Amino acid sequence: MLSVISYPVFALSVVLSLVLSISLFPIGWFEFRPEWLGLMVFYWTFRAPAQFGILLAWCLGLSLDVLEATPLGVNGLAMALIAFLVLTIHQRLRMYPMPQQCLMVFLLLGINQMLVHFIKQMLGGEDAGFSYLWPALTSALVWPLVCVLLDNLNRKLG
Amino acid sequence: MAGVAAIKTIFVQGPVPGLRLLLVIALSAVLIVADARFDKLTSVRSVIGTGLAPVHWFGNAPYELQNWIEGLFTTRDDLLAENEDLNARLLILERRALKYAALASENNELRRLMNSSEVLDDRVIVGEIVGVSPDPFSHEVIINKGSRDGVTVGQAILDAHGLMGQVQQTSSFTSRVLLVSDSSHAVPVEVVRNGLRAILLGNGNINALELVHVPDTADIREGDLLVSSGLGGRFPKGYPVAEVENITKESGEPFVNIEATPKARLNQSRLVLVVFSPDGEEDEDGNEHGQDEPAVNVGIEPDPDEVR
Repeated sequence: MLSVISYPVFALSVVLSLVLSISLFPIGWFEFRPEWLGLMVFYWTFRAPAQFGILLAWCLGLSLDVLEATPLGVNGLAMALIAFLVLTIHQRLRMYPMPQQCLMVFLLLGINQMLVHFIKQMLGGEDAGFSYLWPALTSALVWPLVCVLLDNLNRKLG
Repeated sequence: MAGVAAIKTIFVQGPVPGLRLLLVIALSAVLIVADARFDKLTSVRSVIGTGLAPVHWFGNAPYELQNWIEGLFTTRDDLLAENEDLNARLLILERRALKYAALASENNELRRLMNSSEVLDDRVIVGEIVGVSPDPFSHEVIINKGSRDGVTVGQAILDAHGLMGQVQQTSSFTSRVLLVSDSSHAVPVEVVRNGLRAILLGNGNINALELVHVPDTADIREGDLLVSSGLGGRFPKGYPVAEVENITKESGEPFVNIEATPKARLNQSRLVLVVFSPDGEEDEDGNEHGQDEPAVNVGIEPDPDEVR
């Protein structure tokens, strides 16, 4: 838990993650794009569980739903689930070394993606095999970068 | 002090998250059902989408910036040469348009003689693609014209080469276009050569569409041009959609497998045309009549509001 939180950094990181989730990625590689918003929800509930929680994650998920044109509430639910899981394990999570944190990011975002695709398939989406788990893997790989960067920004500006 | 705060938050947050999660699950379930089954949330989505328009602008900013920088370093000679090129091109197209106008009036005359209704020209406005759908399993793009510009759900979208798709959702400043290659998309088409009708399905592959339910004995060949037939009332008649790429007959199957390549450059075009059908839609001021071979997709970007 950080002792100081910079709200401008929070706002900026969320807007940036929304922008990143619709653009700035090679088109043929869309499958491998990290789930940026999921990472942000993970980071902020992990670092500031008192300020950021389930309802905020749900609202962010709703905006992702609008951007992605998924039925309203699908990503909202999945993001809220991430926030909930992080809230339940954040004390243990802080003790973990970085590789283990990455593993947790993979698991939690994997659960998020699984839920999103489960609901989409129930509503008639196509079956994509297990390739929907790629974003969870790439998110886990960029987690150390994101975490260090946001920590530094928070310390400087908070 | 941080430690004390941490302990406090542990107890404050302790029992609450579960309740909140339940609340959120219930809310989401209601929203999902209302949205996916009953389509009740279009306006909510449109409002949130309007609020998120800046995200699309930011997403498009690198491209704009690159364009701007390119503009800075373009020499006067290059611009002059380009201008000349475009003027020449315009001349050629205008000549074609003149011929086309004569043909169109002749055609209308003939139709009148046959007591059928006249064919009116479609109006178009030029839009620009400002984003693509982040979902790798759906083929959608976002254009910078929305309900403020009179765009409504169901309108056809073209690029300079053919039909691209249809408007699926609108917000004030942007709309979402479902491309013909999306696996949930279908276009009624006909073969130009002989008027054979069929349905062209997208299958999630950006370079290949699928022509379904064509009998074994139908007269269709590789290289045939498929144009929208106008049946079903959603797409205007006569816009090129795809070209038959290969036909495989399997003995024992009642239908042949036909693969077609979309004419529109689904993942390259930046400028698109939004088609207003001649009846019904309100007249956007300054809209002129478009033609079958409308805009020339050139490297430089015209004023987005400029109308061809």
